Amino acid sequence: MSTEKTPALVIRQADFSNTSRVVTFMTREFGKVACVAKGAKRLKSPFDAALDLLTHCGIVFIHKTSGALDILTEASFVHRFKPYAGELNCLYAGYYIAELLDSLTEPHDPHYRLFDESVPLLTRLEETPNWRRVVLRFELLILEETGQLPSFDACALCGRLLEDSPPAATVFIRSGFICPTCLPDATAEDGVSRPVSAGTAHILRVFSEDSNTWQDLPVTSAQAKEVRALMNLLIAQTLGKRPRMHGYLRD
Amino acid sequence: MNPYGPSVTRLIDEFEALPGIGRKSAERLANYILTSSRNEALGLAEAIRAVKDAVRACGECHNLTEKPVCDICSDERRDHQVICVVEQPKDMNALEASGAFPGVYHVLQGRIAPLEGIGPEQLTIEALLRRIRQGGVRELVMATNPTLEGDGTALYISNLLANDPVRITRLARGIASGSVLEFANKEMLADALKGRQSF
Ligand SMILES: [Zn+2]
Ligand SMILES: [Zn+2]
Repeated sequence: MSTEKTPALVIRQADFSNTSRVVTFMTREFGKVACVAKGAKRLKSPFDAALDLLTHCGIVFIHKTSGALDILTEASFVHRFKPYAGELNCLYAGYYIAELLDSLTEPHDPHYRLFDESVPLLTRLEETPNWRRVVLRFELLILEETGQLPSFDACALCGRLLEDSPPAATVFIRSGFICPTCLPDATAEDGVSRPVSAGTAHILRVFSEDSNTWQDLPVTSAQAKEVRALMNLLIAQTLGKRPRMHGYLRD
Repeated sequence: MNPYGPSVTRLIDEFEALPGIGRKSAERLANYILTSSRNEALGLAEAIRAVKDAVRACGECHNLTEKPVCDICSDERRDHQVICVVEQPKDMNALEASGAFPGVYHVLQGRIAPLEGIGPEQLTIEALLRRIRQGGVRELVMATNPTLEGDGTALYISNLLANDPVRITRLARGIASGSVLEFANKEMLADALKGRQSF
């Protein structure tokens, strides 16, 4: 048993009793943590207003090594998520980020970069109505952080860089691009194959780079559509099911 | 080892499933039932059955009632042109206790919580739209909880009604009466400043 302190994002909550809740956090220092928050439903709760979904807060909790739920002892409010005014998709994109953080990470397995980059991505959903960009960047970020990002810049089989040559016209949902030479060697292990345009291949590459170039990269609506179809398939394959929020994020 | 027989165990389990009841309290309640008279105990069972048989959703506002239309909806003195939208009957009861709202209500029976699998189609939103589109509604007061999901539900409904001639307002939020500014968080203070009113 130890007392821990960390910045955190609220990614799920459920009623535990008529005064308490179980709150799941994506914490910076400890990864995903589920805590019992006693008295969280009372008006004069000890946790301020810090436990609403997607709220950025600072928490103190007691880690139970016995496998029991951790106990939340303090929560202080840093920032409440306020999606771009009137834009439901920005709210739903926020929910989607919470859903993927919850379903693609393991308890007590920290991902510092994932936390540090999720916070400003949520801020972008407050400042601009362009949720598609944020969603794509986040999906690629979490896949990379959890070691499940397909290879977008080199052939997944031979490792040859695809940067300068025209990209393979085929992407495999799991492995990534496979060059024309290796194409006959692709197996079921590499996932289902999908044709992809050169422009879309470039978008996937730029959005998964560790730089800010993605923010201003021009994306046509046809490319956005193609990217979305590919990513929906990739995320569903990775999760083993269709995420709930895919049904909500629409134009 | 279970010291109780199957029927007592079942009763304890049923009590334990109630909100705020732990195993110890459930055992105490079961013991009370075991030692009380047959009439007393069956009175409780009968009261539960009667409630489940008699209580249903009001045909107008979906509040819980024992009549086809609830007392508030059938009250001619109330302003039927103003509808206050709440998540649960308990929210409506809280607003009623304030005595400050002269209009009528609409109970959504929840909030849109996609991550818990609760979508708009599981709420009474269709019925609300029908009520409004029948005409005669001047204002819709959104009184969903001031949480991300509560606000999201209000936004969803107001988007659906964007082209209807109904004024949509929401409850003011900010600093609680009787509290002090010093201890209000920046969010509450920002809300309170935004919602300031003339003296
Ligand atoms: Zn190759
Ligand atoms: Zn009614």
